[in-house]
Amino acid sequence: MRKSIILISTFYVMGLLFSLWLYNQKPIIMEDVGQLLPTKIKEVHGATSEAELQKWVKKSITNGEKISVAGMQHSQGGHTYYPNGVVIDMKNYNKILDYNPNEKTITVQSGATWDDVQKKINPDKLAIRVMQSQSIFTIGGSISVNAHGRDIRYGSLIDTVESFRLLNPEGDIINVSRTENSELFPLVIGGYGLFGIILDVTLYLTNDELYQIRSKNIDYLDYPDYFQTEVMQNEDIRLHIARLSVAPDTLLREMYVTDYELVENQETLTNYSKLKKDTLAAPQKFMLGLSRYSDWGKNLLWELQNKLYVGQDGNYITRNNAMRGDSKFMEYDNPTKTEILQEYFVPVDELIPYLDDLRTVLETEELNLLNITVRYVNKDEEAVLSYAKEDMFALVLLINQGRSKKDIQNTEKVIQKMIDVTLKHDGSYYLPYYSYPTQSQMDEAYPRKKEFFEQKKQYDPNEVFMNLFYKEYSQ
Amino acid sequence: MNFRKFLIAQSILIAAGSVVFPFYLLLIKNVGDSYSQFGWAYGLFTLTAAFSYPIIGRLGDRFGDKKMLLIYTLGMAAVMLLIPLLYEVWQVYVIQIVMGILGAVQKNTEKAFLARNKDTDNAATRMGNYHLYISLWSGIAIILTGYLIDFLTIASLFYFISFVYIIASFVIVKREKI
Repeated sequence: MRKSIILISTFYVMGLLFSLWLYNQKPIIMEDVGQLLPTKIKEVHGATSEAELQKWVKKSITNGEKISVAGMQHSQGGHTYYPNGVVIDMKNYNKILDYNPNEKTITVQSGATWDDVQKKINPDKLAIRVMQSQSIFTIGGSISVNAHGRDIRYGSLIDTVESFRLLNPEGDIINVSRTENSELFPLVIGGYGLFGIILDVTLYLTNDELYQIRSKNIDYLDYPDYFQTEVMQNEDIRLHIARLSVAPDTLLREMYVTDYELVENQETLTNYSKLKKDTLAAPQKFMLGLSRYSDWGKNLLWELQNKLYVGQDGNYITRNNAMRGDSKFMEYDNPTKTEILQEYFVPVDELIPYLDDLRTVLETEELNLLNITVRYVNKDEEAVLSYAKEDMFALVLLINQGRSKKDIQNTEKVIQKMIDVTLKHDGSYYLPYYSYPTQSQMDEAYPRKKEFFEQKKQYDPNEVFMNLFYKEYSQ
Repeated sequence: MNFRKFLIAQSILIAAGSVVFPFYLLLIKNVGDSYSQFGWAYGLFTLTAAFSYPIIGRLGDRFGDKKMLLIYTLGMAAVMLLIPLLYEVWQVYVIQIVMGILGAVQKNTEKAFLARNKDTDNAATRMGNYHLYISLWSGIAIILTGYLIDFLTIASLFYFISFVYIIASFVIVKREKI
């Protein structure tokens, strides 16, 4: 009996050690939310302290390893990883370092999310100037893509950044602002993590305000006029978002607009200032599900969405709440399919002919388009890779597609056509998405692309900071 | 093997199985990328079990329940060491086939052991008590795992359960004093 126990134990310990050894050799496959670029990486490091981050960067320089920086990984073109590289996960590097309600500034570690910031500043009736329409993203990630959102009075996110500290490719920590190391400021913001690790950021804040929602249906032919005369001219409208129909019956014709107009009496703000929680949103999720599978579902969703959103007309909402939209209902888990985003920018006066051309493409091509939202971006050419070459409308397209090679090729064909149309109308497209656009499309959309990649090579000659976006487009 | 020892061994190994099961499902769902692959993985498990039952039955009569149960626990301990290493679909298929055979060994042996008892009048009562203990321990173990998993990675859970199977094998090997 004792003999058997000893025998079993010996074999077991050997097996266990062997298994653990193999487990350590096991490749780590990384994906972003786009789910189209599973890539074998070396390891993931969770960022904890400045000293540790610095140690890792220096180690990578000595070992010739590649580093990518990751937040929520909602960029969809492998911007947050590189084959056999080290991924630095910034999500837990999320402390609020300094907060000045009087000067309306806040300094946060880059792994903090908009939600973290909102929770901190909301009690003091302060709000964020520019962020995406959801609060789930990290500040570092948002800055690296130079995001924009519903706000129509400020520029892109870069406009609201006072300064940041950067852990550069040499492993040194430097201050970057419009006055200090100023040449890096427009490179790192909208720089997709290629110039180093953004450690912490100081952002300008604004007042939280109470808005009344103005929502109505509008024909796309009337929209640019409406926007220029009734929205932009009315100083009290601070946020704006519109939706374009993707329903086959009304494709790119019907729209509805939502404006957020400053209320005269701001004293009731506190009645509305409790931060909304992301709701389960089961009906929305179900409707979106239907629209994924049929034109019938798309028509139905459009009708209902219309009623739902236009039905909010007259409601009151604070700036902080208006900026943090629901994201849960968009979560999608399917073994063979995924949902990707595209964003196209067109000058305000080009919108109507642009939509007509885009409609022709969509009517002739196969593309499971689920949703289009329209936002406005003020001209802001501060960032080297700036998309807002003039005052522009930004169209965000949600597309459902398969994950197979063939599906990717099909989507690529349609997206390249859509980008051609966008460029024809002096437009541009957004870079945080899958590498569907061609090199020459990027050249045309981003005239300073060459300069950007040259600067990258100058600041990071050993290419310590790498990602798939750089690999794809830096040639 | 007496009933008491059988009951202890079964309680341990069935609890171990129930603890791992949901996490195993999660893991094979992540490895595969379509529901048809998921279907195949489970189909293979059941089919191998089906075809191996007659052979296992004969082996059970020849070698005795104790040896069969020992094969099961050691086999499962080994499988648990392999699960954290899986990352391709074919590997999941192989593991499913092995687990199909082992599962059949366990089920067949359990029933054979219970059927060998000659006391037929109280069979249902005995079975009721037997199931009480088996289910009780599984339930407790599953609830505890819910708390434990926050502190463990899923891989380390498989390693831990592998060790639990080894403990069960010690119980089976041990002389019948308990």
